[in-house]
Amino acid sequence: MPRTSRFEGRLLIAPLTAFLIALLGFPLVLDIIYSISRVGFEDIRAPEPIGFSNYAKAMADPEFWAAAWFSLRFGLIVSVIQVVAGLALAVFLAPLFAKRPWLIALLMLPMMVAPALVGLMYRLILHEFVGAVPYYLLEWYGDFPAFLGRDWAFTTLVTVETLQWTPFALLILHSSYAAISPDVREAAALDGARGRRLFLNIDLPLMMPAIGITFFIRFIDSFRVFDNLYTLVGPGAGGSTTSMSIYIYQAFFKVGDIGLAVAASMLLLVASFVVLWVINGLTARKAPL
Amino acid sequence: MTRLKTLLTSAALFAALGVTGAMAEVTVLGWPGGPEEAGLRKAADAYNAIASDADKVKLIFFNRDGFFDKLAADLAAGSTDFDVNLLATYALGRYAPFMDPITLPDASKATFPEKVLATMQYDGKQYGIPTDLSLHFMYYRSDLIEKLLSDADWKAKYGEISEKYLGKTLEPKDPDAWTWEDWMATALFFTKSINSDSPTRYGTVLQMKNLLFNMMVWHSVARAQGGDWMNDKGEITVDSPAYRTALDIYKKLYDEGTSPKDSTTYEFAEANAAFGAGQVATMVQWNAAFGDLDNKEKTPAVAGKIGTVAPPAGPEGRFTHIHGLGLGINKASKNKEGAVKFLNWLGTPDAMEIYAKAGGSPALSDEVVAKVSTERPDLVKLGQFAGAYGFVMHGGTAAKALQVYELQAKEFTAYWAGDKSLDEALAATKAGMADLLKP
Repeated sequence: MPRTSRFEGRLLIAPLTAFLIALLGFPLVLDIIYSISRVGFEDIRAPEPIGFSNYAKAMADPEFWAAAWFSLRFGLIVSVIQVVAGLALAVFLAPLFAKRPWLIALLMLPMMVAPALVGLMYRLILHEFVGAVPYYLLEWYGDFPAFLGRDWAFTTLVTVETLQWTPFALLILHSSYAAISPDVREAAALDGARGRRLFLNIDLPLMMPAIGITFFIRFIDSFRVFDNLYTLVGPGAGGSTTSMSIYIYQAFFKVGDIGLAVAASMLLLVASFVVLWVINGLTARKAPL
Repeated sequence: MTRLKTLLTSAALFAALGVTGAMAEVTVLGWPGGPEEAGLRKAADAYNAIASDADKVKLIFFNRDGFFDKLAADLAAGSTDFDVNLLATYALGRYAPFMDPITLPDASKATFPEKVLATMQYDGKQYGIPTDLSLHFMYYRSDLIEKLLSDADWKAKYGEISEKYLGKTLEPKDPDAWTWEDWMATALFFTKSINSDSPTRYGTVLQMKNLLFNMMVWHSVARAQGGDWMNDKGEITVDSPAYRTALDIYKKLYDEGTSPKDSTTYEFAEANAAFGAGQVATMVQWNAAFGDLDNKEKTPAVAGKIGTVAPPAGPEGRFTHIHGLGLGINKASKNKEGAVKFLNWLGTPDAMEIYAKAGGSPALSDEVVAKVSTERPDLVKLGQFAGAYGFVMHGGTAAKALQVYELQAKEFTAYWAGDKSLDEALAATKAGMADLLKP
């Protein structure tokens, strides 16, 4: 590339680069400063540097690891369920969607509701005295589980998250399934492939990049769960439903330990970067298939 | 060109005037939703009718959820978006560094009892005008208790149940004479799974969500047993027998099924919904719940059938947690003069009369409350209970008091839910409090 063209390219990209540095770089620098300081609301403008003790405090805090485990477990479980359910719906409903595409728009509706409102909605639906679900279970079976209690809270949260976000998986996987060329299927059929074999050997491998991307996006979104969880059960009895986002929120706003909260978020940032880099590498390698 | 210059000059002049106008206005950040907002709106209207243009009040409200966290962030950032902001007794120490103390006008000393003014004091200084007082009532279904006190079969069953679950035969009493043990026996009696003849599904509804406000409700039980956060030497005393007894009262009631299964996620609204559905016989709840529960349109199942008394007595006496909401001056305010004028007016008997009639819950002196007692009979009881039974835990207004409530909420809910033993929960609480409350 000629030197002049290279210079022009750099010049043209400079404003965007400056914008990104200002938008991402400034908060990052501020976070790094806070994470190595003793700082609360009272002295938010005058943080006192204390080295890496906030990081050590977070790493030594069993609640930090409990929150990390909760988020990881939650993220993995709901992502797997959503991808499997989305894939099943995309395949089984494909003929229906081909004839009545407006049905897809109908199935997308849960995604239109703000997660915090979804949490509030289920808090009402599952409330023993005003909710429909406990009412009918009591009428029909004479009893009902404590949906938001200690033993059921995790299952309820997984169900609520799955009901709201499976349509997202369905949307991407339906597009991927519909994009497979009929010629490929026809060629496979001529070779004698039918039903399950056609799906496992032709459709599924061709959809793998889309499946990987869907899982990737849903995992990121579920791992950082906050809104619906917070409005539905909060941090839970004894902190039993504390996700990483809630841990950071509690440390920042409730405890006022801003240094600890920011250090925890920085650790999360590093861990997320490593995980996402690995997943991204895996999906990128699958792409040529 | 001349026209352009004229336009620009005019625009600059208008902008400057606009800024000056905005600076002169007093912006008040109030407690959103509910009767407090309704009361403040009426009071502000009345003030604006007599105030000069430069002193008029504009009201703004956040969402109630996370209100104090957002307020802390705004105050710490030196926000000038409001001149007057909400204060709460339990957050005084947290906000005091970002607020200006006020000098109480003489009128406010005639409007509020001394004990109520003290709910807005920190480190010997007055930080706000107290607009609302919150405390706890023991709510009970008067129709059910009436029958319990008169029906021989129910009385006999009550004795059997108290013997079986509490180890002693108790007799039903008038709620105003209850000890916490009497309340437990009543809650057990009115629980369907224990007494199939009970007309209600549950004897009580406990607010056991991991939430700081729920600790305040429970503290009325703990204080009656003699529990306190610290002794006079500043030593943390939460691992006392009194705290253990009070924690076990909730634990036993929850484990025996006298409260809904989801109680570990219940707070104010859920408890009201349970009681309002007519399926709960008693509950310890904030005074603010009475209006809605006794409203025939909102809760027809129980309206007109609700009795309220002060919380039951324990070995150390009868107590109710109290805290006040009030309004004080943002240190970063650009219009402190206007803010002082508004607060001076708000502390007068006339202003509080307007505020109370519009729904607010101020605790007023006898002379002032007499003027509103017809429309707001509950305010008479509010003042009486606050004076006779009100308490604030030792350290309850400290800079990190809110964090102490949060810590207790986390640890004690872990015990009630069965995730931690009593010893583990109390040890963690004591260690955390020692760190938070160290001088």
